[in-house]
Amino acid sequence: MKHLPLEEAHKEAGAQFVEFAGWWMPIQYSSISEEHMAVREHAGLFDVSHMGEFLITGPGALEFLQHITTNDVSTLSEGGAQYSTVLNDRGGVKDDVVIYRMGKARFMLVCNAVNVEKLEKWFIDHCPSNVEIKNISESTVLLALQGPKAQQILESLTPADLRAIRRFNGAWIEVAGTQCWVSRTGYTGEDGFEIFFVDMKDLEPAVKTWKTLLSAGEKLGLKPCGLGARDTTRIEAGLCLYGNELTEDTTPLEARISFVVKFEKSDFIGKNALLQRKQQGLRKVRVGLRMLDPGIPRKGMKVLSQGEPIGTITSGTFSPLLKQGIAMGYVPPNFDFGQQVEIEIHGRPRRAELVKWPFYDKKRYGWTREG
Amino acid sequence: MEFGEKMEYKIPEGLYYSKEHEWVKVEGNVARTGITDYAQSKLGDVVYVELPEVGKQVKQVAEPKSKEMELGAAESIKAVSAIYSPLSGVVKEVNEALRDKPELLNTNPYDEGWICVLEPSALEAELKNLMDAKAYAEYIKTLE
Repeated sequence: MKHLPLEEAHKEAGAQFVEFAGWWMPIQYSSISEEHMAVREHAGLFDVSHMGEFLITGPGALEFLQHITTNDVSTLSEGGAQYSTVLNDRGGVKDDVVIYRMGKARFMLVCNAVNVEKLEKWFIDHCPSNVEIKNISESTVLLALQGPKAQQILESLTPADLRAIRRFNGAWIEVAGTQCWVSRTGYTGEDGFEIFFVDMKDLEPAVKTWKTLLSAGEKLGLKPCGLGARDTTRIEAGLCLYGNELTEDTTPLEARISFVVKFEKSDFIGKNALLQRKQQGLRKVRVGLRMLDPGIPRKGMKVLSQGEPIGTITSGTFSPLLKQGIAMGYVPPNFDFGQQVEIEIHGRPRRAELVKWPFYDKKRYGWTREG
Repeated sequence: MEFGEKMEYKIPEGLYYSKEHEWVKVEGNVARTGITDYAQSKLGDVVYVELPEVGKQVKQVAEPKSKEMELGAAESIKAVSAIYSPLSGVVKEVNEALRDKPELLNTNPYDEGWICVLEPSALEAELKNLMDAKAYAEYIKTLE
């Protein structure tokens, strides 16, 4: 099992731990609901150093990324970030990733912890001689500061003008005296930053920054947050998780993240399979589900329509914000938002409504909130 | 909790306890049941309680466990835990308050957070399979 460089700091903050993707990770500090609401109303600080990072550099780097990912990397200007997928030959998702353009021929690709080794092999197998790939996962700490107060909190630790970092952009700035790659990205639906201590020999500054951030943000309602709140916030935001919504047998079209697929760019792995899938019609589509009856939907539960099984729940939870059960899952494409279905919970069908994500009111929560 | 400090759980005298952390309070011909303080603390914040239907026949919990021994479930955000019946019998009444206030399981597990009232079918014989407060206190020490 792998251990976080910040493990001692988490213990000091009262963390309970679980094993996740081969890592010993904080699941919660105070309570999942409290941490969740801190992210929605103030701010939360997550240590997500289990995530994988690759530096992809060299004259052929852009072309290589165009070939192995589905989005159009050529549209990224320096400092830009892009959500994308890596597909297999069948158009199934090997992983969902974020690509940062740090320089003309210098990129950082962030992937899920569970897929680091799989992707490393895949990249090396497809890597031309004019591209260098470096797995920096073990020497990189990633802190995610998320929530409406994130900017105000981070401002107290940096001389940089954070307003200059727009949504889905990043820059090298000094945070508590250390040069970090800081991007306005995240996995909660909220405004916020991801702070990368990139490929460091000494990770002690990252430990210090964690503590400094927590004390700087305390008055503003900042709380340390674990994987529990990471999951509930991303489900409320309608964001996919590899292993749940995304698998090697699911295409990005079916997951309804087709904005990451740019058919008009040059050839990429999985393109033909996706075009074929499009032509033949989708087998299933991802939907959001909100409970009408009591009960909490969970991964693996059956979705029914008039008693007949039509699909499966891929993620479900109790929403601390909405105070009811919410879920994502797959149903046949003829089912549409607004329709009523049932979810089999504890052996009994319970009514749920198909809804769009995010599950919260975008005018009141999330990075698009007003005021 | 400070390092080295021992967690204390409430274990009222006069109740009977199961190894699955349910309690029984005999009230004349019927028995009230719920989950223990130890159980609620392990569960974390309860956000939903699946209650049995009135009239359901249940069996006293024993190994191997089966569906017929389940009274319902207590759910936190991250986990679902079955609630087993500490006695055989018929469910006479359920705690409707838990539908709107599942957190009563955390805050008042022995009174306002009761789960249901059973009409036991073999009370005297089955109480022998349960523990008293002292034995239960010893039992949870072995789990810590």
